[in-house]
Amino acid sequence: MKINISRQQIYILLLSFFLLLFVVIFSFTLLIPEGKEYRIKRMELKKELREYNKYKTFHDDTLKTLKDLQSKDINIITAFDRPFSPDRFEKQHKTHFSSLTIAKLKRAKDIDGFSVYEVNTTSHISSPTNFYDFLDALNKGDWIIGVNFPIKFVRDGEMIKSSFTMKVYANNKDKNSTASASLAK
Amino acid sequence: MIYSYIKPRKKSPFTPDVQLIVSFFSIAIIMLLSTYAFLLYKDYSFVQERKKLVQNRVELSKNIDVMDEKIAYIKKQEALSQKVFTQNMVLKDSIANLFDLVPERITLSRAELLKNGLILYGVTPNRDVYNFMLQAPLRSIFQKTYTSFYEADNGWLKFVSTNYINEDEGEELNSEN
Repeated sequence: MKINISRQQIYILLLSFFLLLFVVIFSFTLLIPEGKEYRIKRMELKKELREYNKYKTFHDDTLKTLKDLQSKDINIITAFDRPFSPDRFEKQHKTHFSSLTIAKLKRAKDIDGFSVYEVNTTSHISSPTNFYDFLDALNKGDWIIGVNFPIKFVRDGEMIKSSFTMKVYANNKDKNSTASASLAK
Repeated sequence: MIYSYIKPRKKSPFTPDVQLIVSFFSIAIIMLLSTYAFLLYKDYSFVQERKKLVQNRVELSKNIDVMDEKIAYIKKQEALSQKVFTQNMVLKDSIANLFDLVPERITLSRAELLKNGLILYGVTPNRDVYNFMLQAPLRSIFQKTYTSFYEADNGWLKFVSTNYINEDEGEELNSEN
């Protein structure tokens, strides 16, 4: 039996063969590896997204904690930031004393990274109750101030002359400037 | 001169069969190329997106560190202020207790509150009043108590009472505060 194939049909077969070959080579050398790459990169992206979401949640929680703390302790934070003013102190607390004299502020040794200033105070009080009221008011004042030993009470006629040292605590500007600046924001 | 009675038809290499095959492969190749282009674009966008996410994550991580520092610092401020406030309140109670300790028959002229002690100057009608009404409670608080008496002009006795607690206990009290 003789197979009769025309030249035209051979051309068509050859064309089909080469086109199919191109499709197969293209698919196996470029398309399929690229598809694999696509899957890997999509998985990596999903993984990264999960990681990012974790960080975002943690970031939001931390931010909330910080905001809560800042709003809860706003008085303490501003008190540490506020520079001590003897005039303002005198104005605030003179109601507790018949007379109040505040000496010049002296820098003392830092405590726990905070600047500490010492200020000697002499005053006249009519009764110890005034001093108790002063200590109560000190805790609600504009600065973080601790009354320090030694405290002397000397009878002066009908009055009591008291002299004591106060320690004023403030932010250490050198170390904590970032914290103060961030709070201002 | 004409050799044939029929008009010769025009011959083209694009026979219907060739056209069919070419159009079939053209569609197939276009689809393959577009899929490949889509994959390339997606790969590129995934890489870009991932880079952005990594950058944002690093940024978030830095922010978290900064915020942690701020939280720690605020807590430190809070702890120190509470310590100072407590010390003031303890001091207030100590002074109140001191003045409550002194009986009416004894008059104080001077009181010095020290970190680890108390020095009292005053007048007492006699030693017994001082010993029973002031020295006894002072002894219950302080480990070392020294008293010296001088005679006053009105016949009463001036006294200087120096009282100290042990350094260790004083430090313990301070650390508790």
